[in-house]
Amino acid sequence: MGDMKVNLQGEKTEHEAKTDKINPGERLNWETPRMEDVSEQVMAQPYIRFT
Amino acid sequence: MANRIDSLKAPLFVSWQITRDCDLCCLHCCTDSAPGKRLPDELDADEAMRVAGEIARNEVPYVMLCGGEPLVAPHFFRLAEALGAAAVQLKIETNGQRFDAGVAERLARLPIRSIQVSLDGDSQEVYERQRPGASLAKAHAACRAARAAGLPLEITFAPTRFNLHEAGAVIRRARELGAFRFNSGKLMRIGTAARLWDRLEPAAGQYREFRDLLEQQGRILGGPMELCYSPFTLHDALRTSLDEPPATLLVLPNGWVKVAAALPHICADLRRESLAEAWAAYRGAWRDQAVLAEVRSAMVDELRHADANNWRRLAVSQV
Repeated sequence: MGDMKVNLQGEKTEHEAKTDKINPGERLNWETPRMEDVSEQVMAQPYIRFT
Repeated sequence: MANRIDSLKAPLFVSWQITRDCDLCCLHCCTDSAPGKRLPDELDADEAMRVAGEIARNEVPYVMLCGGEPLVAPHFFRLAEALGAAAVQLKIETNGQRFDAGVAERLARLPIRSIQVSLDGDSQEVYERQRPGASLAKAHAACRAARAAGLPLEITFAPTRFNLHEAGAVIRRARELGAFRFNSGKLMRIGTAARLWDRLEPAAGQYREFRDLLEQQGRILGGPMELCYSPFTLHDALRTSLDEPPATLLVLPNGWVKVAAALPHICADLRRESLAEAWAAYRGAWRDQAVLAEVRSAMVDELRHADANNWRRLAVSQV
């Protein structure tokens, strides 16, 4: 499993962060997203409330 | 520390701006939408349908189609019907100017959770000042058409110094129209609103009165209509996101995926990457210390929100 390098383009100081890149097909314990899990918190983001 | 999003194989919600084109040029618009503002590289119908197919295959439960005005996109119904046929729940955001009984009846065949109509005033004069050339009567007719077709109606109100004195009337109107929710919050300093900020920004006293009104109306109304205004500011939303990044992908008309609404950073390109790859990149972005520093910076400096539509790709590569 590889690591993923994430950089902000245009930043003067290059930042590299190791993150766990997991392909869905490789992992067995993923939760399938369900409508019941769409919480008020998800829907209450201002950008979603009024674009 | 793992985030909740790291346990999900796909986002809970996709907010998909299918076009930047719009039939209105609202002063408060946070997406820089207006007539003729379609991006030159927007996903075409076939590309958008491919993304819709991926959304369905990845079992994303909920999608919002927005814009611009989504109904001006020629492939709007093709997309909505494909998603609906795959049992993806839908929210449609519209200004209501071309949302008539025919549109409502066609959408009523789909699994629609919300039709969200913007009512930024309760008199034609105030409404049109913020939405030049728009008809409040058409927006009200759209609300009635939605309800007549049995669709759930949501009303949104973008506060400015022009319309806050009509906020109470809009809340009452929303209730009369049968809305299940009234949405508002602080005006976002993004897009057109950022450019016109000095003309639009309500005074602190106006906001205080507005908050008082919302709290008072929330107590009085009770009943079936919910008032939703928290988090009130983008600052509060960003703080919440730091604790728990939302399981939400914000997809732009060209297929790019934003890390957060108030930031310009793009973590994926759905024209070139799969939805699974985009989701992995989004989750990675929210673990990245540089991105988190940008979020904290945007929290303390509202002026930075004005840069949110100058999109910049995060470089993501395998090492």
